[in-house]
Amino acid sequence: MIVPLSHILGFSSALFVMGLACVLARRDLIMILIGIEIMLNAVGLALVGASAFWQKVDGQIFVIFLMAMTSAEVAISLAMVVYLRRQKATLDADAYDGMKG
Amino acid sequence: MTDKTLFLIPLLPLLCGALNVLFGMRLPRQLSQAIAVGGVASSTVLTLVLWPLSAGAGTHVTLFTWLDSGTLHVPVEILFDPLSASMTLMVTGVSTLIHLYAIGYMHRDADYARFFALLNLFVFAMLTIVLADNLLLLFLGWEGVGFCSYALIGFWYREEKNASAGRKAFLVTRVGDVFLGIALLWLFKLFGTLSISGINAGASQLAPHILTLLVVLLLLGACGKSAQLPLMTWLPDAMAGPTPVSALIHAATMVTAGVYLLCRLFPLVSLSSTGLALISAVGAVTAFYAATCALAQREIKKVLAYSTMSQVGYMFLGVGTGAVAGSMFHLFTHAFFKALLFMGAGCIIHLCGEENDIFKMGGLRKKSPLVFWLFLAGALCLAGAPLSSGFFSKDGLLAAAYAHGTPFYLTIYILGAFTALLTAIYTFRLLYLVFGGTSRFTGDLHGLPKLMTWPLIPLALIALFSGVLNLPEIFGGHQWLDHLLHAAGSGESHPLSHMQEWTLAGIATALFAIGWAVAHWRYSRFTPAQEKKAVLFFLHGWQADRLVHATLITPFAFLSRLFWQGADLAVIDGILESLGQGCQSAGERLRTLTTGRVSSYLASLAWGLLLFMLFFLLQVVQG
Repeated sequence: MIVPLSHILGFSSALFVMGLACVLARRDLIMILIGIEIMLNAVGLALVGASAFWQKVDGQIFVIFLMAMTSAEVAISLAMVVYLRRQKATLDADAYDGMKG
Repeated sequence: MTDKTLFLIPLLPLLCGALNVLFGMRLPRQLSQAIAVGGVASSTVLTLVLWPLSAGAGTHVTLFTWLDSGTLHVPVEILFDPLSASMTLMVTGVSTLIHLYAIGYMHRDADYARFFALLNLFVFAMLTIVLADNLLLLFLGWEGVGFCSYALIGFWYREEKNASAGRKAFLVTRVGDVFLGIALLWLFKLFGTLSISGINAGASQLAPHILTLLVVLLLLGACGKSAQLPLMTWLPDAMAGPTPVSALIHAATMVTAGVYLLCRLFPLVSLSSTGLALISAVGAVTAFYAATCALAQREIKKVLAYSTMSQVGYMFLGVGTGAVAGSMFHLFTHAFFKALLFMGAGCIIHLCGEENDIFKMGGLRKKSPLVFWLFLAGALCLAGAPLSSGFFSKDGLLAAAYAHGTPFYLTIYILGAFTALLTAIYTFRLLYLVFGGTSRFTGDLHGLPKLMTWPLIPLALIALFSGVLNLPEIFGGHQWLDHLLHAAGSGESHPLSHMQEWTLAGIATALFAIGWAVAHWRYSRFTPAQEKKAVLFFLHGWQADRLVHATLITPFAFLSRLFWQGADLAVIDGILESLGQGCQSAGERLRTLTTGRVSSYLASLAWGLLLFMLFFLLQVVQG
């Protein structure tokens, strides 16, 4: 293995925190979704790295599943973004507080 | 004809009452009234026809078994012995006349069907008491008359006063009924049966103190129904009902049910000398109390109500001396003359246009001689005029008390004799105020329906001459009733010499004369004046109502208020409500966390993640 596992995990963690920061800091729905994508990719990277480290295929299979799930999630969430946009003519996440108690 | 025909005697009034309940308002008025009178009249005829069955120890018939559960075995059985037969004849006979009178009395009332249905039901319940040979069946009738009495006192229920008088009668008699119920349960536990004959037969095996307690319980039960001290406050108020009701229920029949109960169970009662003494003491004191109250009353029906209480007191006195036949004799004569007096009072009230106050009457003798003579006949019996029925019956009871000879019974005798004097005074006061002098009545005299006067004529004759039923030997009689009721049981007899009997009769005559003289001197020329305090005290029945209010109702209301507002509202409701309010305010505070904004949820998710991380970091550092 050329790249050491610690590098992969460090990079993946950095990617994850950046994604989280994007989700937390941005109010735009699309930017939040992008942040989520970044976090998911960070997780996928960690899985692939671990799979390579232990020479086991499970992690890579898991990433395949993760990709399928992600594409499904993106399809649904983008459809919802379109729908929400029609409702209120804005993409500000804080505008949608209909579940307020 | 089988013995079971006897059951028709109570069932005929029930049937006619049921007919009136179901169809009364749809039938023509005459038919409805005819059904009511017919039911009672046919019972009377039936009693006369079946009279031979009562000979000797009587006839005992069972119709069917009412309850059969474990050892509790309650057949519907009646005992037609001389005691119950004579009582049945009196009840049905007097009821028939009163029903006839009621047709005249109620001729303008729209609710005739309800009235006659209740009257018939009452007669049924009363006959159940009289005929039942089972205490539970008797209790059924006992509650039945109580209910009919309640419904009929409050017959004109649209006026609050009448309705509350009915309630009061119901509640006060219920107090007595509770004691009777306890006595019944105890008797069942002791004997394993509720048959009156069985209980009477086995009573001698009981321990003396148990007997005394049982007699006290029975006495309290009888006191409630018969308006004796201390459960007497309901009877004067019961006069709110229609006059035929007062005549039937509160003079002739129901109020004497207590006396009848004690007579029926006399073989048991007579075994406890303490109980007997207590019975006669209650009777004598009530007789005296009620007579003093009757002296001051202004309403004609209340005078009669208190005098009923007083006369029933005499009957209790008689039972206490062991003179069952004498008590029953007084019960019969009293039923005749008091029903007569009440119906006469109904006529008087009707004549004066619903005026109740005797201070506003007067001079009616010239206006309506027939009513005067009829009322006079009843009044003479009540006052104990020599040779009238009341004279013999009351004298017999007082003689029985005198004959005991002990200081206790002599005291009872003196109290009874003094009450006889008071009785004569208040009776003649009533006569003078209503019929004597000049008229103080302003307004027109009304006419009387014929049906309101002519049932009184046979009753007046019976009342005057029913003394022959039990004429003492010194007057040439044979004491027929004494012999007839001998089987019902009698206490130890203390024969008096003829000399003593003549003396007692002389004393009674003298008391009557003195009473008349006093009333004549005081009331023959009467002008209404402001009543003194003492008179007001008697007018309000020795303030018995106020006493009951202060000792029972006020503390009870206080306790109820305490439990309602103190315990229930403050403590229980308080705890529950503060619990609920605590939960609600906690929820109010918690709901502010739910902002509905995705960003704040995400932020809290991140903070939570951070906390987990810190926790694991600590673990690593420590490990």
